[in-house]
Amino acid sequence: MEEFAYIQHEVLPSLFQGFWISILLIIPSASAGLLIGILVGALRVYGSGPVSVLANLYVALFRGIPLVVQLFIWYFGLPYFGIYFSPYLASVFGFSLCSGAYHSEYIRGALQSIKKGQMLAAQALGFTKVQMLRSIILPQALRRALPGCGNEIVYLIKYSSLAYMVTCIELTGKGKILASHSFRYTEVFLIVGAFYLALVTVASLLLRHLENRLSLPGFELHKA
Amino acid sequence: MPEGLIAIANALPYMLKGSLVTVGVVIGAMGLGLILGIPLAVGLMFGPGWLRRILSLYVWFFRGVPLLVLLFLFYFGLFALMEINLSAFSAGTIVLGLISSAYQSQIFRGAISSLPQGQLKAARALGMSDSKAIVYIILPQALRLSIPAWSNEYSIILKDSAVTYALGVAEIMARAHFVASRTYQHLPLYLAAGLIYLVLTYMGTRLLRLLEDKVRIPGYSH
Amino acid sequence: MAIIDSSSVLKVENLRKSFGDKEILKGLSLSVRKGEVKVIIGPSGGGKSTLLQCINFLVVPDEGEVWLEGKKISHGKKRELYAYRQQVGMIFQDFNLFDHLNALENVQIGLVRVKKCDKAEARARALAELQRVGLAEHVLQYPAQLSGGQKQRVSIARALAMDPKVMLLDEPTSALDPELIGEVHAVIKDLVANGMTMLMATHQIGFASALADEIIFMEDGYIVEQGPPAKILLQAECARTREFCAKITKISGDS
Repeated sequence: MEEFAYIQHEVLPSLFQGFWISILLIIPSASAGLLIGILVGALRVYGSGPVSVLANLYVALFRGIPLVVQLFIWYFGLPYFGIYFSPYLASVFGFSLCSGAYHSEYIRGALQSIKKGQMLAAQALGFTKVQMLRSIILPQALRRALPGCGNEIVYLIKYSSLAYMVTCIELTGKGKILASHSFRYTEVFLIVGAFYLALVTVASLLLRHLENRLSLPGFELHKA
Repeated sequence: MPEGLIAIANALPYMLKGSLVTVGVVIGAMGLGLILGIPLAVGLMFGPGWLRRILSLYVWFFRGVPLLVLLFLFYFGLFALMEINLSAFSAGTIVLGLISSAYQSQIFRGAISSLPQGQLKAARALGMSDSKAIVYIILPQALRLSIPAWSNEYSIILKDSAVTYALGVAEIMARAHFVASRTYQHLPLYLAAGLIYLVLTYMGTRLLRLLEDKVRIPGYSH
Repeated sequence: MAIIDSSSVLKVENLRKSFGDKEILKGLSLSVRKGEVKVIIGPSGGGKSTLLQCINFLVVPDEGEVWLEGKKISHGKKRELYAYRQQVGMIFQDFNLFDHLNALENVQIGLVRVKKCDKAEARARALAELQRVGLAEHVLQYPAQLSGGQKQRVSIARALAMDPKVMLLDEPTSALDPELIGEVHAVIKDLVANGMTMLMATHQIGFASALADEIIFMEDGYIVEQGPPAKILLQAECARTREFCAKITKISGDS
């Protein structure tokens, strides 16, 4: 009984606070990351020489260096230049840039998988580049990229816990604080784990649902 | 700027020793992931219903809970509860290994199911039991097919190893931070750390590419 | 029409198999005596493949019994099933060679891993079988490096190395380019001449009629008619048989 009282009155409220911070971390990071990914992905496929080289360099660096190192660079390293990020800002900044690199991989693959012949046909019909992008390329590319990008967002939910490493106290951070006061590490972190499992599972289900809603018969098979 | 370079130069031997620790963690984790991942995959694909449900639960758990949470849960919680006294290095490696086994099982599952059904049929037609067919016919092909994805898993584990810093494992990240907090040369040192990781990633993927070439079957494609 | 014959090598009685609510085999019975060659013909989808795969229980029939040399096979007992399969050779339409092994290893592996033979003996036997099917120069090549005809011959060598009592051939040349069919037919002819008991499903009517002791016409999960080649192909009793044979002899240009 004492166990449950503890959980109810001390653990859960605190964890919910942390959970809220996690959400505040995840949503902006996921959105920004996706936008960056779309931009960089498009640049890598359609950009001219130096632009696409830069884009590829960005992706190689941000996919090759551990996220922890990246976070430390923004939080501890930027002050070198007189720029001071709060833990929250450093985290969102770091998550967005890192996530963006991964998203751009999926976007790039999706764009490259679109059969060239369709663009020729569109041009023959008199489509402008923008119309072509809107009506032909994007609807297909988004469907192809959806599993990968959706997956990346699920990953983001999990590694948002790393914000703790730069002292941004979200769900994991709250858990650590609670546990180190009460020494009930197992219970607390099982509950923290349950929170994340719930988030991740719901997100995956939503993703699957979205994939089904948007799926077109035979679309997967007609790749370039 | 010069202080930065001096700091890097001074810290480099210390940080490179950390890369030995990192490599140790990575090899241990990938090894554990492989040893557990193959039976997991076989169980998930060929096992009875109840086994599949249990194994799916395992995979769901280790792929759903964040690494940092699992590290804390096991190192400060479960291991302490079970009165198992493990160093941060061992605990970190084991947790990474368990997580990797969940991901690797999916890699091997994908490879196994990409094989044509005829392979298993022919093995059975010769009178092979399922376990023989799996060991001698299915796995040799599936493992070869898995090497690219395994290479990807390597680079993921390498990056995840930096998180073990939270348990106090003295790997690259920990050492960089240690020196940085004394010399205040955060930026150059973390950039150097990042570079070391990049080099390790490159070396590892090159090695695995060599492995792939070495075990390649002429003309094989599935 | 169950043929009760004590000298039959392989006997099948009342085989039934449904996939979902579609009944593929509707109570089939047949038997093959030692040294006999029986060829199954019939339209696609008639159940020929399923029948053959039921005989060695790659597909488990819903009902029916299989006897090998007078002994009933209870496929529920794993050890008995494996031992049984070692004595029944199967040739697939798609060859199904083990892609990660070269020709020699493909033929060897059954001997080494299933029959637990000595490795040197197995190697010698494998070489001999590959020589017999005319592939002595290709023993170290991998399936991807072999032509379709060569692959099928390796698969025959692989089955032969196990010393089967009977061979089941499921449309052995259907996946081959026309010019490669001859080499496989030559090997099969040679096997028959040496007394192999065979049950073969094929579309190659000319070849079948030259080789077969009996032709079985199967359609829709039933055996419609069976008898000597000359009779079935030219003077069949059933109208359906006559219809089918008229069409195929016209296509293949036989008379």
